[in-house]
Amino acid sequence: MKRITMTAFAAGLGLTGMAQAQDTVNLQLQWVTQAQFAGYYVALENGYYDEENLDVNIMPGGPDIAPPQVLAGGAADVMLNWMPSALAAREAGLPVVNIAQPFVRSGLMLSCWADTGIEEPADLAGKTVAHWFFGNEYPFLSWMSQLGIPVDGSDGGITLLQAGFNVDPLLQRQADCISTMTYNEYWQIIDAGVSPDELVTFKYEDYDVATLEDGIWTLEENLEDPAFVDKMVRFVRASMRGWQWAAENPDDAAMIVLDYDETGAQTEEHQLRMMREIGLLVEGGDGRLDEVAYQRTIDTLLAGGSDPVISSVPEGAFTHVITEAALAE
Amino acid sequence: MKSLSAMPSWTMPALGAALVALGFVADPRLGAILAVWLGAWGLNAVMASRGRGAGVRFLVPLLFGATLLGLWEMAVRLYEISPIILPAPSVIAATFAENTPTLWADFRQTILKGALSGYVIGCGAAFLTAVAIDRSPFLQRGLLPVGNFIAALPIVGTAPILVMWFGFGWQSKAAVVIAMVFFPMLVNCVQGMKASEAMQRDLMHTYAANYWQSFLKLRLPTAMPFIFNGLKICTTLALIGAIVAEFFGSPVVGMGFRIKIEVGRLSMDMVWASITVAAMAGTAFYGLVAVVERRLTFWHPSQRTG
Repeated sequence: MKRITMTAFAAGLGLTGMAQAQDTVNLQLQWVTQAQFAGYYVALENGYYDEENLDVNIMPGGPDIAPPQVLAGGAADVMLNWMPSALAAREAGLPVVNIAQPFVRSGLMLSCWADTGIEEPADLAGKTVAHWFFGNEYPFLSWMSQLGIPVDGSDGGITLLQAGFNVDPLLQRQADCISTMTYNEYWQIIDAGVSPDELVTFKYEDYDVATLEDGIWTLEENLEDPAFVDKMVRFVRASMRGWQWAAENPDDAAMIVLDYDETGAQTEEHQLRMMREIGLLVEGGDGRLDEVAYQRTIDTLLAGGSDPVISSVPEGAFTHVITEAALAE
Repeated sequence: MKSLSAMPSWTMPALGAALVALGFVADPRLGAILAVWLGAWGLNAVMASRGRGAGVRFLVPLLFGATLLGLWEMAVRLYEISPIILPAPSVIAATFAENTPTLWADFRQTILKGALSGYVIGCGAAFLTAVAIDRSPFLQRGLLPVGNFIAALPIVGTAPILVMWFGFGWQSKAAVVIAMVFFPMLVNCVQGMKASEAMQRDLMHTYAANYWQSFLKLRLPTAMPFIFNGLKICTTLALIGAIVAEFFGSPVVGMGFRIKIEVGRLSMDMVWASITVAAMAGTAFYGLVAVVERRLTFWHPSQRTG
């Protein structure tokens, strides 16, 4: 039944959109193809983008791809980015604007060995922490700065390691703690045979230092063009439909993502689990940026002590124009 | 070249002027850039053809470098190129001056600790291995393929493994450098030790020189040009190895770490400042080896001057 209505709907929209050629949208992801981006792949697979007359080209990222740079170079129209990294880019002279925020919660955590005696964040002083960099380190640096724990290697501070994107430094005990995502690295530790009891995990959400992740960003100058704005309205509308479907059908969504993984590196079990965790992060969101969460992100970033991520409150770093138009229909 | 020199002397300037005029018509900014470029080129050509002596020899490349920087600066400013794509040289210089302590700490971590120790250990081990191979043809058949195998391993594959084995500090970077420099050095040393001629070896034999005497007096000196070739190639390999290895895990200091995180932060001026340090360090390192080579192999035809 659902199938039939959807096809009918598609046919209806298809007729109205048939007159003009499809508009191309290049979307730069911030990581490799995985369930973290399920909404976009679902929108592509289920034809939501086609219905909006869009030809969306999803470009997977990776460890050496900084989405803001791809945006600056003109190879992408929109990027997915964590807000701290995007705002830092904005302050560095790349005027990016958040046009939609599908993720309403943060999945960032810090996972530590329980036997190191770490029970609360203040215990991190004097310990070794492995963290990703490349723009992902900002929430951690801000948090430690708020706790007053130095990370520059001085006495009583944290020894910070720049780790690759795997959990080996923790497993090898080269680090006491490691940055993890609820939907990815945490499960890599568990898959390596570690029992959850052996770990102590701090969620950024629980300590009121969470920063917004996985927003949709574009360049300010693009938004001066009404045709581009119209294209973005359709893109956001179709993407949010994709997210809604993915949240309602997590298992099917994970399988769609697997189909699009050209590297063949992802496993079914991992993606099914990731999709369920991702569902928790997007639940209850309609794409509109929550200004309370935005303000918390700004406050966290500004509280960076001697080395804040951003030095002043950004102006015009987000707009509701796109989401309002997208939700209006 | 013949047709160029056969042209009347005014043709080149006239062509240049026409090009500049064309540039101004197309885009005044392009015209200005072309004018500076051709002006500096002309000045350099005149100096190179008329000038004599050490002063000119020094001035010509200097002017060339300054022109390149000038053109870069002009292009960035006139065309308002985003600093995220390409920062102007003046901006890079300012960043360099502001961040000297950071860059110095990175230099110490990556070059002095990682690259240099790996270079000394790797090249030293390769030399000793070459001596062993020289003494025993059996090793020559066994060790060279193994060395070749190690050299064929891609650094992006070995670096993460070595970081896991030797930790996040400079030791793992030195290990990567050793793996990178060992084989090129080994091949050069082995080849060099075979460089003496049969007649020369026979002469040593008639002197009743034993192995080590003939090694030190004849075969090592004749091997020197090869050994220095290896040492020079390895300077740049060591630098590349130490910097790239930091991408796969490092403490929060080091040139590779800096380049990686500053790209993520879009501070391209800092990335360029780090690149400048790497370029200067690489040139100095190479130059140092070349100077030592000139001292030790003064007899070789390639080192004769005038």
